[in-house]
Amino acid sequence: MAFFGPALVLLTVFLFIPMILTLIFSFTDYFALSPSLTHFTGLGNYISIFKDEMFLKAFINTVKFVIIIVPLQGGGALALALLINRVTYCKKYFKVAFFVPVVMSLAVVSTLWMQIYSPEGILNTLLGKIGIDPQPFIYGADQALPSIAIMSSWQGMGYQMIIFLGGLQAINPGLYEAAEMDHASAWKKFKDITLPELKPLCVFVFITITIGAFKMIVQPMVMTGGGPSHSTYTLVYDIYETGTVNWEIGLASTMAIVFIAFIVVLTVIQTILTRDKEDKEEKK
Amino acid sequence: MSFIELKNINKKYPGADKNSVTDVSLSIEEKEFIAFVGPSGCGKSTTLRMIAGFEDITSGELYIDGQKMNETAPRDRGIAMVFQNYALYPHMTVEKNISYGLKNMKVPDDEIKKKVDWAIKVLGLEEYRRRKPKNLSGGQRQRVALGRAIVKDTKLFLMDEPLSNLDAKLRVSMRNEISKLHRQIGSTTIYVTHDQVEAMTMADRIVIMKDGVVQQVGKPMELYEHPANKFVAGFIGSPQMNFYDVTLRDNVVTFEDGNKMTLPESVTSKLGGRQGGLILGIRGEDIKLDAQNISLFKADKQSAVVENAEVMGNENNLYFTFGGASTVARVSKYEISGAGDKIEFVFNPTRIHFFDKDTELCYI
Amino acid sequence: MILTKKQKRIEWALAIVMIILSLFFLFPVVWMIANSFKPDAQITADMNTVNAFIPPTLNGDLFDNYLSIITNTSFLRYMGNTLLYAAALIILSVIVNGLAGYALAKIDFPFRERWLLIIMMLMIVPAETIITIHFLFIAKMGLLNTVVGYILPMIVNPFNIFLFRQVFISLPDDVWEAAQLDHCSAVKYFFTMVLPMSKTVVATVSVFTFLSVWNDYLWPSLVFTSSDLLTAQIGLNSITANVNTTMGMTLALITMVTIPVIIIYSLFSKQIVEGVMSTGSKEG
Repeated sequence: MAFFGPALVLLTVFLFIPMILTLIFSFTDYFALSPSLTHFTGLGNYISIFKDEMFLKAFINTVKFVIIIVPLQGGGALALALLINRVTYCKKYFKVAFFVPVVMSLAVVSTLWMQIYSPEGILNTLLGKIGIDPQPFIYGADQALPSIAIMSSWQGMGYQMIIFLGGLQAINPGLYEAAEMDHASAWKKFKDITLPELKPLCVFVFITITIGAFKMIVQPMVMTGGGPSHSTYTLVYDIYETGTVNWEIGLASTMAIVFIAFIVVLTVIQTILTRDKEDKEEKK
Repeated sequence: MSFIELKNINKKYPGADKNSVTDVSLSIEEKEFIAFVGPSGCGKSTTLRMIAGFEDITSGELYIDGQKMNETAPRDRGIAMVFQNYALYPHMTVEKNISYGLKNMKVPDDEIKKKVDWAIKVLGLEEYRRRKPKNLSGGQRQRVALGRAIVKDTKLFLMDEPLSNLDAKLRVSMRNEISKLHRQIGSTTIYVTHDQVEAMTMADRIVIMKDGVVQQVGKPMELYEHPANKFVAGFIGSPQMNFYDVTLRDNVVTFEDGNKMTLPESVTSKLGGRQGGLILGIRGEDIKLDAQNISLFKADKQSAVVENAEVMGNENNLYFTFGGASTVARVSKYEISGAGDKIEFVFNPTRIHFFDKDTELCYI
Repeated sequence: MILTKKQKRIEWALAIVMIILSLFFLFPVVWMIANSFKPDAQITADMNTVNAFIPPTLNGDLFDNYLSIITNTSFLRYMGNTLLYAAALIILSVIVNGLAGYALAKIDFPFRERWLLIIMMLMIVPAETIITIHFLFIAKMGLLNTVVGYILPMIVNPFNIFLFRQVFISLPDDVWEAAQLDHCSAVKYFFTMVLPMSKTVVATVSVFTFLSVWNDYLWPSLVFTSSDLLTAQIGLNSITANVNTTMGMTLALITMVTIPVIIIYSLFSKQIVEGVMSTGSKEG
């Protein structure tokens, strides 16, 4: 127990108590600059945030972001992993090339892509060469969010690619040899062996990308400040600004609780989806 | 009081509905080599780990060198132990592995060096002093584990299946080395094994266990010649003793397949007048095929057809069905038979055992 | 493998696809490094040509951008700060989380299984949601703008505890028993046996701790206001926000921030890849 002590103290101070406080504050109008005037407001905050246009906007933006990034990054990662697994030359070089953006920081990547996305920047120059007019990218309300999504999946794809590669390597090669004996085509092998074997991993990867995408904040913070016209203002950005800029801890806590509830639901879905498979296997 | 006393020791794991070790009482003298033997799950390792202090004793008392040890920490029991998987410290060299305990006990450096040098020499590890365990063979690792035990000047060695991870050939040679080492150092040794050959060849006395209960304690030949029950008779010796369900009427034994065998008065008299259903046991080497023995016990000559013959070189094992049970006879290399051959044989009546049908206790 | 003519053609097509993809992944990084050596006028001039991806030839002012960062800003200091914070956090993190992981793996204490479950559940709570409360705590403790205030909430990490626990659980018990007979105390055993026997997981946790400290943005931006204590990422942001910072300097800055992670990645790519795969195999 003495071994567990230091961790227990820190867990209590920096995880349990903050979580409990967040829950308690979510039912109050706690304002950090005048804590003595705090009132219990019941579900008031919960009702008001769903009437708050900014919060709803942030929520919709976040969902949009998720909808773009999940297929892009997850599908891309799977495709990259399959390609790398298939390729015979320079495997290592490709792995490094796709993984380098992962180790770069969000702030660095955001700063770099601000330059790349700039109106006279390298991307517009390259597009001009193939006859496409200059695009506003992060400076246009319509394009800002998709631009950030493309950048984010560029950065994150390598991580999930490595996870998929691990999954691919764990597949018993005997399965493919057996399928070869059974005259299976390349497509059939993919459909009947690779995909089923990777299914639990796919669920895991797509859920982690979803959760990660819901937590998105640094990119708009550095690149757009949530703009233009709040088109890149996200959930966590709203929590952050409400709590640490406007000092409305009560309201920020309510948003945090709603957000955690969302994450928990996603995790439960993941658990059910992966467990489902194990049960079926047991029944076999 | 003996050097080590176990008094009514019991072990029951929390949540288990049965004891793992039941009522073990045993006295071990100084310098004795005791082997605990039995099938896996018989409680032999648990008993050893209770002596070492790695398992709590549920009830009963343990004395080492006159002191009650139930509540004493393992390190303070004055023991050294050799583990089944060697338990070497993987990131330390051979030397460091052996000297680690002495260093922790604050033994002076020059004394540590003397002891480690001695252990390394005794165990023939001179060339490997600075190697790490992963660069050693199984036998060498086992020697390092022994070295770690012998430098510590403890009066009691505990060994938990130390040879079970070695291949058959190495096992035989390490068996000899441990026996020699024991004679040289003279520490009391408790040795746990599932291999009855190890127990028979190494131990001064054997404790044979089954289902947490001691079945018999004795010198190796006592257990072989006078097993306490059918379990001991079957466990000790290879190939296993042959058992038959028989009916005894007067001096005539009737086997399940109807074969009859007349036993001399001198044998049946030891049964104290017991009649009826019994279990008859006879070891393979006491089934005789040679002319001399057959003529000696002519009246009881039996016959069977060999189903399989194992040619070992120095001797042969013949397998056949007799008396309603599969039987193995161990015969000399001169009596070659192949599958399908008809053989004639006799049981040496002076070597026959009888066991109770229900209690399986041995009468003779 | 025996290749038919058709398969060989596929092989070639695959290689070309992979090269194009890897170029797409690397072009921002290559562009960043190449142009960090150029004055802004040349960056703009090169934009239209292939020179955009080629560093200028060696001449006297090649390192002008870097020199101007070193002489005009405190950026080297910020990088040094971050290295120190990372070193401190690596040590504390391995000790605190390692001890807890060991306790959960090997030491019998009350409600051990329950605790393990709680730790696993904590892994899904996003740090972003309780960052406001952390900020409040650190402010109340008067630790804003201090190193202690920055480090304290980051030490304990449920994921690291779990990672340590998973590795320690497969350590053989008999080595601990042998060490006990060698008069080794539990604490000594942990530091002289358990950690050296688990070099891989210690390295993995250290590398991930380093990357998370080096790349963190949100928490240091809250704790550190303007001072000498800034981390590299926050320093980067405050310097690029200054109007006097040229595009070339910005690119040189983000190159400087990226160099340490690239070094760490090239030294520990094995640990990183294993660490990433382990997050997947836990589920898969």
